Amino acid sequence: MVDYSRSLFRPTTVLVEDEAATYPLTQSILSRLPEAEVIAVTRPTSENLSLLGRRFSPRTTLLLALHRGRFLKACPGTAESYRCCLYQILHLGLGCNIGCSYCVLQGYLNNPFITQFVNLDDALAELDRELARPGVFYRIGTGEFTDSLFMDPLTGLATRLLDYFGRAQNAILELKTKSVAIAGLLDYAGEIGETVVSWSMNAPSVCAREEGHAATIVERLQAAALCRQRGYRIGLHFDPLLYFPGWEEEYQQTVAAIFEYLKGDDIIWISIGAFRFMPQVKEVLRDNHPRTNITAGEFIRGIDGKQRYFSAIRRQLYRFLVNQIKLYAPNVFIYFCMEDQYLWRDTFGFAPVDNQELSHWLDQCCHRYHNLPQ
Amino acid sequence: MLQSQDHITVKKSLFMNDLMSDTCLLSAIDFADRTFPFSYGLLPDSLSASIAKVGLLQPPLLKAGENGYKIVCGRRRLEVLRNQVLRQGCGRTSGLEVCLASAKISAQELFRRALWDNLAIREFNPVEVADIYTAALSLFSRAEVEQEIMPALKLPLRSRFQQRCQALAGFSRELRDLVAAGIVDGETVDLLREWPEAAQTILLEILADFGLRRNKLREVVSRMDDLARRDRCSPLVFLQAVRKGVAAEGESGGVEGLRQYLKTLLYPHLSAAQLEFARRQAKFAWPAGLCLEPPPDFEGGRFRLSFTFTDAQEWARACDRLTATAREDIEELCRRG
Repeated sequence: MVDYSRSLFRPTTVLVEDEAATYPLTQSILSRLPEAEVIAVTRPTSENLSLLGRRFSPRTTLLLALHRGRFLKACPGTAESYRCCLYQILHLGLGCNIGCSYCVLQGYLNNPFITQFVNLDDALAELDRELARPGVFYRIGTGEFTDSLFMDPLTGLATRLLDYFGRAQNAILELKTKSVAIAGLLDYAGEIGETVVSWSMNAPSVCAREEGHAATIVERLQAAALCRQRGYRIGLHFDPLLYFPGWEEEYQQTVAAIFEYLKGDDIIWISIGAFRFMPQVKEVLRDNHPRTNITAGEFIRGIDGKQRYFSAIRRQLYRFLVNQIKLYAPNVFIYFCMEDQYLWRDTFGFAPVDNQELSHWLDQCCHRYHNLPQ
Repeated sequence: MLQSQDHITVKKSLFMNDLMSDTCLLSAIDFADRTFPFSYGLLPDSLSASIAKVGLLQPPLLKAGENGYKIVCGRRRLEVLRNQVLRQGCGRTSGLEVCLASAKISAQELFRRALWDNLAIREFNPVEVADIYTAALSLFSRAEVEQEIMPALKLPLRSRFQQRCQALAGFSRELRDLVAAGIVDGETVDLLREWPEAAQTILLEILADFGLRRNKLREVVSRMDDLARRDRCSPLVFLQAVRKGVAAEGESGGVEGLRQYLKTLLYPHLSAAQLEFARRQAKFAWPAGLCLEPPPDFEGGRFRLSFTFTDAQEWARACDRLTATAREDIEELCRRG
């Protein structure tokens, strides 16, 4: 029996930045971790984070800190030659403990700890200011630098965000996850608005081999079906697609599984992106996951400097997957994450002329966008 | 307050207490002992020339051991001297002036002194760094190694570098020699450390055949490693296949032949696309003198056209050839897939 109220992360040590100690979110998290050792630390800098990282195991330690920069950031889409959907990231935390071998964060973060920013009111105040701009529609997610739900039973953050986005008329919230920690979402009694709960999808063997202790594909889909029943819209993200012996059969299985649990109309969008990584991540990834062979494929250097599968391989992956999905859901909106116009045209017969157009297509998937006063 | 004169006196007294001037025979020195592993690799010609001309000016630092004197500092000087004596074909009978460490000085303290003395003179090669780090692990606490030895060696705290050092300690003599000489770089060592010894031996044979060095060697090893990972087979199995494959392709290919062979194996789709593009160009009798290149790795959509000219006539001829090219031919050439 799947426990939807179980946090994937249960730290035994909590480092609390001294200025963060009195925040309600800090108190609330600590009250849910009565057995954890709590240690006060000074404001984290890269130097003292490195020292702390040698003293406390990042696997079992949570850092509660204040975020002092902007909370709302544009998705770090790369070169203009690859189309980006202009998604906005609400930066509330860093890192997760699922342990996917392909996780690009391994090469970017200089903070070894899973970190929760506790000055939520500052984030919401910034959202107030940003969302006050008339005629602008926002798609906002929290799952770029962390998993949106993996420790939600500890933070209770999702419900706080629902309180906000349930009422916001010109924005939708997307919670992206590989977990099934959805109890907070199911039990939420308020207005959920047009909140999207999204799951990362992949081939079953990729899920088992490369995605650490993420939920299985079927568990994710069962959770998605429950969220749909509760009224959430469902997003699916096939990212990263991997090319390996037997990939066609396995991705076919996953697509078939999706439509055992969901109807085409339940799904607001499906994104697809083939595996890509910065060249320097290759060594980090091999150090952290010596048994994986995912970087040993036919990778070329993309225009943005990232390693990508050679275009003929991407084309095979995309055409196959899109055709499979269309068999079950001809009208579902499918888009590519960071892909070039040639492959868009090759797969769909059309391509967004620029990032704004792709962004507009996604906005149009949202009911709220259509109700926006012009 | 301590006066400068007092300071000198104190230092001198310390010196007198724990280091003693003495003489010993070369044969009394235990060259095999590597408790203080501060030197590995080729001996510099300049050092040989200097010792041949003026002899040993600075006495080496030794410590008494079970099998003779252990070399703390000055291994390179002593090895040069030994080589010269052997070359001359006669044993050195006269005593060698040395500095002997008293038994009162701990091994850690001697190690420290030797480390800093060497650092003041030269940079260590990667095998020396690895040997020093590995030896320090058995002499010092983890904290001392991290806080003193590693910074002195400019060895980052990341585990990759520590694993690299430990791997180097276990490599064959031949491979260590290549690393010490700078022919094999650190990234290649990182890949090789997961290879079985037999695979490393075959690599050395390939290396001897092709004379690969540093960057090209890294590329070849990286491609072999990728291939072995991709096919989930041992690099050993794969190296043998590569060796046979290269032989079958013809030995005349040399380094470029080997690189191309590996590239074709690792990038079958890209290689096929390149061949296909060349085939189309040949089929459409692409005008001579005009160079058309596909986008790098066929990524993105920008083809590159180039030609050279020396005067207006050549310019006009190139333009004529360009405008005479049928649009369908261009479309076919630029077709992807």
